[in-house]
Amino acid sequence: MKKIKSERLYLSDRPPLTPIKVVLLAISYVLLLLYVFIVLWPLAQILITSFNGNQEAYIIIGGSYSFSFKHFRYLFEETYFFNWVINTIVIAVATALLTLFVVSFTGYAYSRYRFKGRKASLMAIMLIQIIPTFAGITAFYTLHSILSAIMPWFSRQMFLVLIYAGGGIASNTFILKGYIDSISPELDDAARIDGCGNFQVYRLIIMPIVRPMLAIIALWSFIGPFLDYLMPSILLSDPKSYTLATGLYTLITDQYNMHQPVFAAGGLLTALPIIVLFIALQNQLVSGLSSGAVKG
Amino acid sequence: MRVQLVNIGKKYEGRENFTIRNIDLDIASRDFCVILGPSGCGKSTLLRMIAGLNSITEGDLLFDGKRMNKVEPKDRDIAMVFQSYALYPHMTVYDNMAFSLKMRKERKHVIHERVMEAAEVLQIKEYLYSKPSEISGGQRQRVALGRAMVRKPAVFLMDEPLSNLDAKLREHMRVELVRLHKSLDTTSIYVTHDQTEAMTMATKIVLLNDGIVQQVGAPSTFYEKPANLFVAGFIGSPTMNVFHGEMKNGIFHADGGIFTVEPRKEDADLLRPYEGKRVALGIRSERFIAGEQEKNGITVVVDVIEMLGKEQLLYCKFSNGEECVISEPGYYEYAIDETHHFHFDLEGLHFFDEETTLRIN
Repeated sequence: MKKIKSERLYLSDRPPLTPIKVVLLAISYVLLLLYVFIVLWPLAQILITSFNGNQEAYIIIGGSYSFSFKHFRYLFEETYFFNWVINTIVIAVATALLTLFVVSFTGYAYSRYRFKGRKASLMAIMLIQIIPTFAGITAFYTLHSILSAIMPWFSRQMFLVLIYAGGGIASNTFILKGYIDSISPELDDAARIDGCGNFQVYRLIIMPIVRPMLAIIALWSFIGPFLDYLMPSILLSDPKSYTLATGLYTLITDQYNMHQPVFAAGGLLTALPIIVLFIALQNQLVSGLSSGAVKG
Repeated sequence: MRVQLVNIGKKYEGRENFTIRNIDLDIASRDFCVILGPSGCGKSTLLRMIAGLNSITEGDLLFDGKRMNKVEPKDRDIAMVFQSYALYPHMTVYDNMAFSLKMRKERKHVIHERVMEAAEVLQIKEYLYSKPSEISGGQRQRVALGRAMVRKPAVFLMDEPLSNLDAKLREHMRVELVRLHKSLDTTSIYVTHDQTEAMTMATKIVLLNDGIVQQVGAPSTFYEKPANLFVAGFIGSPTMNVFHGEMKNGIFHADGGIFTVEPRKEDADLLRPYEGKRVALGIRSERFIAGEQEKNGITVVVDVIEMLGKEQLLYCKFSNGEECVISEPGYYEYAIDETHHFHFDLEGLHFFDEETTLRIN
């Protein structure tokens, strides 16, 4: 046995482990497993509860289990769940598209062009980020009353899109600008000599290269409306116009409406559109496309 | 195409001074013109102005007599090869090369023919359908050249295209570029800081420093008749030896009394107005002749020897600590700390006015 061990080659590039290091490694594994448990336990509970027919208005952990779709049925038949899904998806898609469209231009412009007020406006965008959304509520109200006076068809949901996109545009402009900065401007020059105008340089050269970053921005702005509870709960008044977050929330706060397992089932379904989008964008999210553009 | 620069100047936004100014150049059709200079001398700016990537602050840029100052880069009938190659990373080699023709809405079979033709010449056929990230630096360089070639431009611009290659490949590409230039029948303008590239490839060199043209001419004149002290020091390896001194009674007295030189008759005539004035004497390392002589000789101690095989470079010191480089055939035997006598080859002397740094003879 000993002989075999001595013949075995040590191939790792790291120095061999000392006993103390083995102990430390074991400890870090234990900590990591603990962390995994903390993350996965609630998710598992949601999954189990939502399919457990024996659960009533309040979730009881460790009770008896019988598989059933009853909570899902309740969700679709007794609540406005379908409306909420549609509302949220419409708001999320609109936010993502608007953010992508505007950020494409601002990110490219801030990265490639020198103009008066460039630094100052960048700084302003950064500083405005510091103000929490909550503090802006008065401003949102005023803006909305002005807008709806001029354009009566301008709904509160549309206003929600504007608020989400506004916040997303500011922070994502920074991210995209930084990403475009890392692309050699010689590519722009080459494209210009090859016959591209300003817009074509972006569309044919820069955009395909920054596609991974655009995918991430799209994903983030899409997820935002799913997670936010605060803004829709303040702005939206009709339960039919609620988004998923506000709608589902009624299932755990309202005394008469109390259905915690249904809330769990709704939460589970909420994850679906995000997962679908993530899988659709997966190929784009693989970055590193830009390597090899310049000297390697 | 003939390219003329008339009194061209460039001032960048937010800068106080002109980066380059008063540049007059006339590049004949089919010339291989190399713009040479140390980094930061404005040579890339000049090239980018010819390409239309930077605006021209003052002066005129003429292509065959037509003013090009306000013409878009794509309409100038030029192609440019960048230092970083600037290949589009999301396109295959084929698409990279076809891109400019596609933008011009050229017919598909014409594009295909041109790309294949260029790929043939540059030997990049095997990886036409690879992405730039999958091929080596030398291959990318060829693709960049190919991308410029397929346009069949009237002016071929190159901005230090070889500086990212290793020494062996660079040597090889130098020859290929000259061959390419000949076969394409275009005017080429090439920017570099490498004097070897300039000397070996150019039919015409423009040496820039501090935004001013120092000398324009054929490579040989740069080596044999540098126009001023800067050119003398910039061109040639090892660097030309320069001694400072004074003219007394038609004889050059080096500072510190380390040697005296009596110039030959033609030079002496030209040096007459400098009697009693400060003068710099330049001599290339290979113009020292070994052996003692009554006049025009020096005595030095060998400090360091660099053996290059064919020749050896002797880094020597005078009695007062002044240094000079002497090259001698490799088979001569020298040793460190030996004292040796050399004398000047009078035909290889360059005299410069110390005040204006301009050449005298």
